[in-house]
Amino acid sequence: MAKNGQTQNVTIRVQRFNPDVDAKPYLASYEIEATADTTLLDALEQIKATLDGSLTFRRSCRHAICGSCAMNVNGRNMLVCNRRVNALLDRRGRVTIRPLPYLPIIKDLVVDRTSFWEQYLRVKPWLIPPENGAAPAGEYRVLPAEVEALKMAETCIMCGACYSACQVVAMNKQYIGPHALLKAFLRVLDPRDAAPAERLEIVGGDDGVFRCHTIFNCIDACPKGLDPTFAIETLRKLAQKRLAFAAERVERQKSLGTGRDA
Amino acid sequence: MRVFVMQRLTAVALVLFLTLHMIVVHYPPGHLDFSRVMERLANPVWKVIDILFLLAVLIHALTGAYAVLMDVERVTPYKRMLVGTAVLLGLIAFAYGTATILAFNTF
Repeated sequence: MAKNGQTQNVTIRVQRFNPDVDAKPYLASYEIEATADTTLLDALEQIKATLDGSLTFRRSCRHAICGSCAMNVNGRNMLVCNRRVNALLDRRGRVTIRPLPYLPIIKDLVVDRTSFWEQYLRVKPWLIPPENGAAPAGEYRVLPAEVEALKMAETCIMCGACYSACQVVAMNKQYIGPHALLKAFLRVLDPRDAAPAERLEIVGGDDGVFRCHTIFNCIDACPKGLDPTFAIETLRKLAQKRLAFAAERVERQKSLGTGRDA
Repeated sequence: MRVFVMQRLTAVALVLFLTLHMIVVHYPPGHLDFSRVMERLANPVWKVIDILFLLAVLIHALTGAYAVLMDVERVTPYKRMLVGTAVLLGLIAFAYGTATILAFNTF
């Protein structure tokens, strides 16, 4: 393993696929020089800059916040911008990078995320505020405990690692998916939201939370350490008392402008 | 949601029924012979327990199979047919099993 300042030669195996030329994906090996701080994204950039300019992958922020560079590394979904090559070498001193599984490949490491975004939109991921009459005149005053409950869900960066790791998604693209259900959880538990019943009806339907097999792949894959399974379990409970929960929300919103507990 | 709830409820029932079943059938306290088994099977209380056990097993198995099959995208459009088949199979198996349970009489 390279120590600080030293370099070592490592092999990066990358799944390549150009639909215009290749009949099926294949693994290509590239030798690169890596230091202790070289990230997987650095390695891909190095390959693209010096060895093969046709290598195609998504990346943007390099700080694990944009969610563009989620890929499958040595069989696990992760962001490649915040993981060091050194830490992921297998017994043969190699790292294998593939595109996110179970999604159609556009080219090399770039996948088609259409189903990911379509399912996301199904849960209406935006906040639906109370009607004019019920909305507070001034600011919304949410209790610290209510904000705390949402913290887990609001740091999702929509990278798709959980969606692509989910075995239910692998079998059936009609399943809403952990990413969208996590967002639904965020909105359903948000006291400012006025449509919990509508959301719970969507996520409690045929393609929603009751299809989850609690395999926990989503938790394993999430680069932000979030817990979509907990969100799904919570939504399961709330979906079974949908109307009562919606009535509680109406009551809660009466005091949204004052900061008083409902 | 109904299928999910049915499967969970029958899972809890099965824990109780299977525990009872293992104790009574496989690890019974004391002496066990043919006549005692027949006596138990002919007992009306045990008949009710066995019929409920059968019902729980059938609901649990069929809802489980339904959930697994519905995971397959190609099967999803045939949901109604799947539900109909599961209900039909369940009714046939329940009728057959119940008739068998009720058939036992003391000598």
